[in-house]
Amino acid sequence: MTSSVDKSLELEQVRQRVFLALFIALAIAVHAIEFLLPSPLPWFRVGLANILTVTALFLYGAQAAWTVTLTRILVGALLLGTLFSPGFFLSLSGGLLATVLMTGLYGCLPTRIGPVGVSLVGALGHASGQLLMAWLLIIRHPSVWLMLPYFLLFSFISGLLNGLAASYLLEFLLKHPAFAQLKTARAGRLRIKSHTRNPL
Amino acid sequence: MVLGPLLERMTGADRMVALLAGLVVVLSFFLPLQSGPGGRVVVSVENRTVFTAPLDQPRDFSVEGPLGTTHMQIDAGEVRITDSPCPQKICLGLGALGKKGGLLACVPNRVVVNLAGEAVETDYDLLSR
Repeated sequence: MTSSVDKSLELEQVRQRVFLALFIALAIAVHAIEFLLPSPLPWFRVGLANILTVTALFLYGAQAAWTVTLTRILVGALLLGTLFSPGFFLSLSGGLLATVLMTGLYGCLPTRIGPVGVSLVGALGHASGQLLMAWLLIIRHPSVWLMLPYFLLFSFISGLLNGLAASYLLEFLLKHPAFAQLKTARAGRLRIKSHTRNPL
Repeated sequence: MVLGPLLERMTGADRMVALLAGLVVVLSFFLPLQSGPGGRVVVSVENRTVFTAPLDQPRDFSVEGPLGTTHMQIDAGEVRITDSPCPQKICLGLGALGKKGGLLACVPNRVVVNLAGEAVETDYDLLSR
């Protein structure tokens, strides 16, 4: 008579899949909108889609973060018609390095790191990964690296802001009954105020 | 402001990470990323090299373009365009150039000033995104 346990486990898995699909869809939408916005320099983007990767990482772990990042980049490129263009490879290398660093940091300090720290490391990783690929693939000219400090400064700020947004999103999501099981384990680390730990 | 909620939502580890990341950002401004000094000035007009000179010997020189004479000056390891017949004088505003791989150009007069240090690989002429 373990059916109720099975059922709740199954429900949890289905919920996770549905939410992951929503995160991916949202990440692709944000990615596409950001692509359409004018930006002062070709590779300066706020990287709002990373909010969803950070959220998935904190709710469901490293594998979910990888799923969100890779699917976003592939489907986003299909949608925008940039698949296998230089821009796609820039996006891919940035995303790979960002996710390696974010999941690595999360794996090293799973109970102590919060969304702001993870997002910050991801933003810096994204900037360096992009620049590395730009240098390897597009402009084999050392002056590409002159942009590095400005890239890092810009991504430092955007990383903090994205982390703050991810923190708010996580707080909001954990109020929802669908995340009741995750809440007790993670609320402390996310610095979510005590009154949100036990809604209802 | 954003800073209040941001600090409130950062764990101790987050702050450590932010501090280290901030340090990396600041240090990156001091990295010796600048390329080395240029060795030779190479001036071309309409894609033909018309003048070349070492950067360490001060001199004034000029080249003829379709619009007239563009005057240039090498001084203190730097090259600058001192006068040009172009209408907007943007090339004068480009200032002086001392680093390898740098570029000055007077587009109306088809004059391009290159600083060659070593051979520079460029596989792409143009990148369109």
